[in-house]
Amino acid sequence: MTGNAAAAVAALQQALAAEQAAAYGYGVVGAHLMGSAAAASADADWVAHLRAGSELTTMISAWGGQPVAAAVAYELPFPVISAATAQQLAATMEDRVAQAYLVVVALPEAGLRSFGAQQVRAAALRAEAWRGTTEAFPGMRASNPRR
Amino acid sequence: MTDETPVGDARSGGPTGVSRRGLLVAASAALPALLAGCKGVQALGTPPPPPREIRVLRAAITAEELMVARYSAALTRLPTSNAGLLAAVRAVQAEHAAHLGQLRSRLVEPAGAPAPTAARAPAVAVGSSPGTVLGALEQAEQTASNRLLEQLAVLPPTLAQLFASIAASEATHVPFLQQARAEAG
Repeated sequence: MTGNAAAAVAALQQALAAEQAAAYGYGVVGAHLMGSAAAASADADWVAHLRAGSELTTMISAWGGQPVAAAVAYELPFPVISAATAQQLAATMEDRVAQAYLVVVALPEAGLRSFGAQQVRAAALRAEAWRGTTEAFPGMRASNPRR
Repeated sequence: MTDETPVGDARSGGPTGVSRRGLLVAASAALPALLAGCKGVQALGTPPPPPREIRVLRAAITAEELMVARYSAALTRLPTSNAGLLAAVRAVQAEHAAHLGQLRSRLVEPAGAPAPTAARAPAVAVGSSPGTVLGALEQAEQTASNRLLEQLAVLPPTLAQLFASIAASEATHVPFLQQARAEAG
């Protein structure tokens, strides 16, 4: 594997891991939003993460890597006990997904950069929908003062 | 050559420091250097175009300046009675100011670079409805976001990340403003 391929696989694996964690998290989110108007959004976002994960799996194989397997369960960043905390979890997972894809944007291959950037944007849009507020620098760590 | 150049050394009375022949050799040796110097001056007259990434970064800075100006113009056209809408528009403008700060910090201008011209936002007609004003902003946001994503390939990695992040932020301003508009009624 060349240096470029190794870097691409490493970044894509991180993105895949973030997608798998998000797909798991949306299961928890959906359970707490059942019957509410937001349930359909949770479903749609869950499907988006499953699709992205499947796309990443294909890409990683194409780059000569072995896609990481999803964990059976993931530790949630905070207890989800209500519809409000469920929505907070959805937004937090989108932040993490955006962070992972921003690493893909730093790769030299134009195609991967473009893919990563589109995914950062998609995650930021989903985070905005859950949170109702925007950020100046989605996907960048420690540079976003929360408002 | 100036008057101070020591030619011979008659007044000091010592042996000739630099012979006439030596001077001629020195002069001819200096000639190519002098010509090269002239060439250098010519090259300064028509500087080579800056690297593509610098041009792309400058364009992004100009676009953000324009965006900040657009919001300033929009703020003068929105009804002051609608505090929620004004707050939303100001919040988005503040994010553009943050984008602008980050983009400017990445640009190291060579000495003697032309000063940037102030961005001028397209005028917003007096009496425009909040819907028209915000609709124009939403359209500008989407266009700006797409434009940044088109530029990624030519940029160094960290600048590509900044562009991608700002593009994502600008895209989120569209539903955010739409929501603010819906809540304003």
